[in-house]
Amino acid sequence: MIRIIIDYREAFLQGLAVTLKLCMTIWLLGLLLGGSLGILETKWKTVAVLGRSLAFVISGIPVLVFLFWLHYPLQALAGVVIEPFYTAALTLTIVNIFAVAGIVSHGIGELPAQYVETAVVCGLPRRRILWRIQFPLVLRYIVPPLLQTQVGMLHLTLFASLISVDEIFRMAQRVNAIVYKPVEVYSALGIFFLVVCLPLNGLALYLKQRFSRNISEK
Amino acid sequence: MLRGSGIRKSFGQKTVLVNVDITIERGEIVVLTGPSGGGKTTLLRCLSLLEPPDGGTIELDDIGYSFGDGSDNRKRIPYPAVTIVFQQLFLWPHLTNRDNVLLSMPSAEEPYFEDLLDRFEMREFIDNYPNQSSLGQKQRVALTRAFVLAPTYILLDEATSALDDDRVAVVVEELMKLKQKRTGMLLITHSTDLAKEMGDRFLKLERGTVRPVS
Repeated sequence: MIRIIIDYREAFLQGLAVTLKLCMTIWLLGLLLGGSLGILETKWKTVAVLGRSLAFVISGIPVLVFLFWLHYPLQALAGVVIEPFYTAALTLTIVNIFAVAGIVSHGIGELPAQYVETAVVCGLPRRRILWRIQFPLVLRYIVPPLLQTQVGMLHLTLFASLISVDEIFRMAQRVNAIVYKPVEVYSALGIFFLVVCLPLNGLALYLKQRFSRNISEK
Repeated sequence: MLRGSGIRKSFGQKTVLVNVDITIERGEIVVLTGPSGGGKTTLLRCLSLLEPPDGGTIELDDIGYSFGDGSDNRKRIPYPAVTIVFQQLFLWPHLTNRDNVLLSMPSAEEPYFEDLLDRFEMREFIDNYPNQSSLGQKQRVALTRAFVLAPTYILLDEATSALDDDRVAVVVEELMKLKQKRTGMLLITHSTDLAKEMGDRFLKLERGTVRPVS
């Protein structure tokens, strides 16, 4: 297995770079835009209804179907050709935005209003209430599920291989087509995902246990 | 003087307060009793302006707030001049007991805080988190958090229910000190002894209205 990785390191590194680039795009845009949408959903009812309706519709479509629909029919209808990497990034970012927005708005909604009221009657200024009370408490609700969702998004980047994005799974398939050592090639791929995902999942579990203990008093 | 006049409050079809008149003078302890679920906490929330009444007026010393007549009530409410100790306490769970007090405490009150640490016997748990503390310990922290704010009016909702007699006695002493500093207090309690020991005036909230009791 190590021999294959060394011999085809360029291919694997190239695939790894594309996977990481795709992943970073999805994570950054998803967290930024999804977080903003989640906050807006708690402020304006119209945004909440619209956002949750869209999330409901998107959650009903398998990600692969959504990806293929954006890649083939939509581009054919619009008469445009978009590079597969961007199509994959757009599809998965949309999925991530709505997943993150749901977690953030739910987390904000879960925060008992009395914590803020107590801060108000203690005379804390609005800004201090936001940064010292609301923000840290909401983070405790949302960080564990957010981490788990981002691990899920990393897994979903594999679908990009199906529209010819040269990410790590597609590169592994190519290497396997040359050497035909599926056990070694896919084991190496599995180990890569374990190395990246297990610490993130472990961190999510740790934070969930630590924070849920910390905020158990409602 | 903290005064509520003609306070009305409903939640949907349920009317909780009907034309309630209540006055708390500076340096006075008013005890409010009444059946559970009768609206005592709602009245306390209305008086502190956390919950805007449907109608009536609230006067907080020289500031007046009018409700139900389209008045603009965006005047700044002078918290913590009026503050509350809630029955459920609501200590911030991500902060230690010490930080729960220090977050809003004016630095000038540091000696008073140190004094209360000893008087309320809080040193051994003050650096624990609220969920590592017993209900009685949390009540002492919540009371300390309110006392060090040097409020003009303090509204206490069953704030000593989990304390033993010795500790209630210390709380009573502290409340009496606040009274000497001309702090007005509204005390909601089911403890007849505490009410008799502390109260200057006694009120009962029943069927949405307040009436004096002897």
